[in-house]
Amino acid sequence: MGKNRKKVQVVVLLLALLLGGYAIVQSFTSNDSGLVKEGQQVPEFRLANLQGEPVALEDYVGKPVVINFWGTFCEPCIREMPSFERQHEQWKDQGVEILAINLSEDTLTVSNYVKKLGVTYTILRDVNRKTEKRYGIRSYPTTFFVNRDGTLSSVFVGEMKESQIEERISKIVQQ
Amino acid sequence: MLLPVNTKCECGHQNAVGTVLCESCGKPLEKELLESNEPLEMRYDGVARRSQKANPDYLDKIWNFFSSVKIAIYLIIITFVGAMLGTIFPQASTFISSTFDPSVYYAEQYGLPGKIYYFLGLHRTYTSWWFITLLVMIATSLVICSIDRVLPLYRALSKQQIRKHHAFLKRQKATYSTTLAEDEAEWTKQYGQALRKKGYKVFVDESGTALLAEKNRFSRWGPYINHIGLILFLLAVLARSIPGWNVDQYVSIADGDTVPIVGTNYYVKSEGFKIELYENEELPEELKDSGRIKSFKTEVVLYECSANCNDDFEQPTLTEVHQHTILVNDPLRYKELKLHQFDFNLTPRINAVSPMVVNVQTGESYGPFHLKMVEPELHYEVGPYTLELIDKYMDFAINSEGEPITLSSSPNAPAFIFNIKGPGLAEAGEVFMYFPLEKDKVRFSQDTINRELANKVAIKVEGMENVDFSAATTHLNVRIDKAIKYLWIGAVISMIGLVMGTYWQHRRIWLRIDDQQLTLGAHTNKNWYGLRADIAYALKHCGIELDPKSLDNGGHKG
Repeated sequence: MGKNRKKVQVVVLLLALLLGGYAIVQSFTSNDSGLVKEGQQVPEFRLANLQGEPVALEDYVGKPVVINFWGTFCEPCIREMPSFERQHEQWKDQGVEILAINLSEDTLTVSNYVKKLGVTYTILRDVNRKTEKRYGIRSYPTTFFVNRDGTLSSVFVGEMKESQIEERISKIVQQ
Repeated sequence: MLLPVNTKCECGHQNAVGTVLCESCGKPLEKELLESNEPLEMRYDGVARRSQKANPDYLDKIWNFFSSVKIAIYLIIITFVGAMLGTIFPQASTFISSTFDPSVYYAEQYGLPGKIYYFLGLHRTYTSWWFITLLVMIATSLVICSIDRVLPLYRALSKQQIRKHHAFLKRQKATYSTTLAEDEAEWTKQYGQALRKKGYKVFVDESGTALLAEKNRFSRWGPYINHIGLILFLLAVLARSIPGWNVDQYVSIADGDTVPIVGTNYYVKSEGFKIELYENEELPEELKDSGRIKSFKTEVVLYECSANCNDDFEQPTLTEVHQHTILVNDPLRYKELKLHQFDFNLTPRINAVSPMVVNVQTGESYGPFHLKMVEPELHYEVGPYTLELIDKYMDFAINSEGEPITLSSSPNAPAFIFNIKGPGLAEAGEVFMYFPLEKDKVRFSQDTINRELANKVAIKVEGMENVDFSAATTHLNVRIDKAIKYLWIGAVISMIGLVMGTYWQHRRIWLRIDDQQLTLGAHTNKNWYGLRADIAYALKHCGIELDPKSLDNGGHKG
């Protein structure tokens, strides 16, 4: 009887700890903005670039990645693109990749803008706003700085200054 | 109370630590209790709680914490107060606008209290870590309290001693004693028969002079069944945090579009939103011409993705699984998915036009050619003309620097820039700007922009049949709640337990006769009136008539 009781105690408390612990941990990970949280893995994607070739996030495992969501209709997005271009030039030898995901616009519109702006980093094309929704984007531009292991280092909502971009990229490079 | 004491009763039964009344004969074990004359506390039949132990270790201490009903009540009170705090201002989850920002909203709407509310995280009370922790603790407490009480109680009730101690019988809240003239065994038998008629199960010991009559023991299990239901209910609530178990989001679909429901494997197509107004004949005089809405409905087709679902580079393979006309209160239901009509927008959206190319000088027209708003072809051959699409704007405007821009990605004011080659035009082609919507042609003065080219060539849509548009956009609420059926099962079990414990009472009558001296005691958890009536009924059957009230030994409330 006494031994049995111990077993019941351990099993019940362990179950409470497991189920309860899971529920409590879950409550920490849900958040206000719906954006991916720092330290979490960012969602995978496989999208077409401007040449129509597939580019997946997993192609960049082990590299620091900057994911920028932008649209031609978003003036601050367009304004910050030259800064990203310069930062791309500065960091590309250290393996930093910039993936700029366009918000489901036409090929023609996007390529015209990219040509006009002289952007050389990778432009990707979201479809049906699916990737955007998976990342929980609510306003544009939004930029994710992703560590080499695919976890989120930081996220910035709004137009970025070049110094801010530099600071955040140097963080993910050092990681 | 938990000191190591001799827990062996004079009847020879070895009781567990913490036992109040001997498990066998019912004699009060504590000295003070034995000497007092108050009616006995019969809770759990006086058996020890399972976890009561002389030397609790660390695990026992945690167990004992959750085993305490007092702690459980505090936990429930704290949870109630927490839940009340969550109702002061609206919860953030009730706002569905994508631009809703709680850090701004609460401060703006409610001032300082709102700021504090947001700061404390009360805008998400019911999903906060502390609220979930409280629920988890209550669930743990429910399980442990039940285990600790139901098992000893079950043991105590399944092997009851028939002949009880005098102190036990005399100190019940309903008791009776007298001297009998009849044969002891015969009287006992007769009394038992009378109680059988009242639906009691009657047990007589081997001497034939002690009796236990019992009725509705199952009602004792009511509270525990109720707890099982509550635990299931709580687990179902907690299960909602499993990804995919609880989805509550919105999709907007223009007529004819197919959109993915992000977070699920489904795609949904709107075959058209329709709004129906009441005819004037159907309305009373004062409401005529007021545009009363009779129904909103969306014809939808639901698809499930069967391949390339998480790969946006490839086209997903969709399989139609369901069709439904969604009305208010008549959502589409497919497995756990529900799509409710939520809102609509009657602003039409242009999808494509099929214009003619007109040679203005000769008046001849060619075409039509099909021009889509989204991902249009870049090259068109129309009669003698060749059109090369060189740029396009969905929502055309001129910014502060005088440059053409697009304000959004919706075709609110589409504009196309073509390089046209053809008769009477320059060899390398001439740039022509085309606004498909008539209002934009005027607003942005298409003819002025195109200058002399406007006198040579025109692009014109003839008739509405050459315009493809979506008349409306429907907004649907997507709901998945996999936990709901478990909530229901939990609620039903809980209700069964509640009814069991509420509408039936466990009644027991013990008696013993020693040397013609009858001692009778009886216990129930409620409705003492009914119990006393049962005792008196059976006594009357044996020739003793008395007022049921005289059986009352005091000390109870019903």
